[in-house]
Amino acid sequence: MSTNTKRQIAWVVDLNKCIGCQTCSVACKVLWTREDSEKAQWWCSVNTLPGKGTPKDWEQMGGGYDAEDKPRTGTQPTPGDFGGGFEFNHEEVFFGGSGGKVHLEPQAPREGRWAMNWDEDQGAGDWPNSYYFYMPRLCNHCSQPSCAEACPTGAMYKNEDGLVVRDEEVCAGSRFCMEACPYKKIYFNYERHVAQHCIGCFPRIEQGVAPACVRQCPGRAVFVGWLDEDGPVRDLVHEHKVALPLHGEYGTSPNVYYIPPLSPHPLNEDMSINTDQPRIPPEELEALFGEQVHEALSMVQGEMTKVREGGSSELMKTLIAYKWLELLGPFTADPAKIIAKG
Amino acid sequence: MKIVAKEGSQADLANPASAIWEDVEATTVSLQPVPLSAQPNEYIRVSRADRPYGQTANVAASAASCGDDIYVRLEWQDDEVANTEFADAAAVVLGSGDGIGTLGSDDAPMTLWYWANDRNEALNLSSVGPGVVRTNGSATIAADAELSAGRWSVVLAGPASAVIDSQLGVAVWNGSNDERAGLAAVSDWLSLDTE
Repeated sequence: MSTNTKRQIAWVVDLNKCIGCQTCSVACKVLWTREDSEKAQWWCSVNTLPGKGTPKDWEQMGGGYDAEDKPRTGTQPTPGDFGGGFEFNHEEVFFGGSGGKVHLEPQAPREGRWAMNWDEDQGAGDWPNSYYFYMPRLCNHCSQPSCAEACPTGAMYKNEDGLVVRDEEVCAGSRFCMEACPYKKIYFNYERHVAQHCIGCFPRIEQGVAPACVRQCPGRAVFVGWLDEDGPVRDLVHEHKVALPLHGEYGTSPNVYYIPPLSPHPLNEDMSINTDQPRIPPEELEALFGEQVHEALSMVQGEMTKVREGGSSELMKTLIAYKWLELLGPFTADPAKIIAKG
Repeated sequence: MKIVAKEGSQADLANPASAIWEDVEATTVSLQPVPLSAQPNEYIRVSRADRPYGQTANVAASAASCGDDIYVRLEWQDDEVANTEFADAAAVVLGSGDGIGTLGSDDAPMTLWYWANDRNEALNLSSVGPGVVRTNGSATIAADAELSAGRWSVVLAGPASAVIDSQLGVAVWNGSNDERAGLAAVSDWLSLDTE
């Protein structure tokens, strides 16, 4: 794998603040994947957890590395696994004179339909203790990217900012990257015969502009910045240790980190509050974020309690993000004031 | 393998189903999988260790010339053509040296005239290893194919000047077995004799 990485950009997503609005998904979509051949591509997508996600059941598709650092054989997601890219009956509903009788519906067989947020808000648990949370997912721009290491042509590589980017002129469409990526965030463009994935908005980064998914987030839930330079990203990951990688056991050293979600207490059968445990089963969060999740949750909970009791918390100030620009790290330039080059 | 001169017959030669090919003797060419050890990275070597590839045993190859171009017709059995993810594909391999079994090397780059059944145009590729290819824009090539009764017939055509040391090789990818890049069946060098 070719790399000349000099520093590492990283994202931190606060799952306690993500409201599942898909604004990040749409901000990315309208910027990068507007061609017909890219209709089913969502380089950034928000899934409901627990859930099968996108592509469907991606966590069972292998890839990444085992405990001995050997590549794990992966499965290539199919277009059906990703789903979406539907044609809709717009004409019939809006202009066919039968708008009161028909509803907007994908023009695809009902059986086996799937899409990027198909199981949105389903979650798990039984009333009154049902639960779910949202998780934005994009390319993890891993420090040990199994996708790039599986590419025969060197089309995928780490750039000097630590982003995993690709040269579509060099991509031969062999799709080993899609097998080897354990997060299954690489798509294939069947018209252009090239793999495509989140490029971390590198043309914006180079101009000092934050990635679209970060800048457009209305919940102030996503931070971006250099992993080893002063700023909220470094603080949350390295100092407070409350931001954790997703499935670190996949062995690729991902650079999208998550603040795990706190949850209210469940109710007992008599509707009294069971203060012994959170509603989201801790073992489910451990399966996503590893054993460190318990310490991270305790830290966030403890700091939150401290503030409620009148104290002060640097961690809470950071997570609340009173100043929006602080979320953007060093990438605070206004895209409206950037003159496009080339 | 003999190259039969067929002046003034470009259109017929480009058509793999044309009767003109009935007059051109075909050679049965044995193929072998590109060695696993030669695959370009650990992921491919690990993931294909227990998954046989390059199992197309042979092709019938014939060649003709017309003007400055050479036409190579390949025909092989493929009982499972139904596949939506990876295409059936074939290539004429041009070059010299020992690297044909690995589709070239840094020391012995090779040219692939590449056809795949999911592409509208043939590709002219430079190959320095199994699946390690770049588009080579220096010559225009063409391909046409026909599938009949589970047999592919493909004609690849390009400039005769691209042939090195009067030899060529053949590579085949079986799409229904997810074959692509270096997961191919490749021949040895075939000597070309002008009739």
